[in-house]
Amino acid sequence: MAIAIFFIAAALAVAGGIGVISFSEPIRSVLSLVVVMLALSVLFLLLSAQFVFVVQIIVYAGAVMVLFLFVIALFGPARELARTRLRFQSWLSVLFVLALLGLIWAMLQGIQYRQPEPTDLSVFGTVQSIAVGLFTTYLYPFELTSILLLVAAIGAIYLSRRPGQDQ
Amino acid sequence: MSSMTIGGSQLDASWFLILGAILFTIGAAGVLVRRNPLVILICIELMLNAVNLTLIVFSRQLENIEGQLFALMSMTVAAAEAVVGLAILVDIFHVRDVEDIDELSELKG
Repeated sequence: MAIAIFFIAAALAVAGGIGVISFSEPIRSVLSLVVVMLALSVLFLLLSAQFVFVVQIIVYAGAVMVLFLFVIALFGPARELARTRLRFQSWLSVLFVLALLGLIWAMLQGIQYRQPEPTDLSVFGTVQSIAVGLFTTYLYPFELTSILLLVAAIGAIYLSRRPGQDQ
Repeated sequence: MSSMTIGGSQLDASWFLILGAILFTIGAAGVLVRRNPLVILICIELMLNAVNLTLIVFSRQLENIEGQLFALMSMTVAAAEAVVGLAILVDIFHVRDVEDIDELSELKG
């Protein structure tokens, strides 16, 4: 049954991905991306990442995508030019992207998978195991991300001043 | 060695990695083809999600929690980047309507 769940979630993710780049209206791209994120969160849960599954839904699908929706709501549907700078830009892009996919696929063939160290999988990925790593070994990156979020919040407040405000 | 026992079945890590590669390249194609800056930001988020999937897969295959911690950090950075990127976009949209990303070229030499 895990195999069935994987293939259903993978098909949904790829369909959502194709939807993100194909829809001409940005609102549909955002909603396709939400579908991708939910499918990926199911895959995370399948891979014993319980905490990341919840964080993906709450933070990514629930906050970041809502930000995108607010911007679309504020500025309305966007008009996108049909012509492009380079002729054949679409075909060149697809060519490059297929070459990139081939390169990544060739890299994946040469992976030397290591034997996993014996771990108790019943507590793998739980909040406790994440907390142990985050607050002992990786405390410094954790504090740095809190500073990063503070800087991002200050930046967003500063950038969204009305023209003419000095404070 | 690349196969993992999940829920009683054997899943291979390479399937997840190929899915991550496909999502990443779809996002890259979107960045290259689309003209609207908002849609380009959305495709960048898709690429970041594909990378998170790769991190979680390796975390599970090696049974090492550090991959999930890295993915959490990546999500945090992506959220901060989305906030600042959208604030810049909102600033630009207040002044003029951008239909083509190539219009935003005042900084070129």
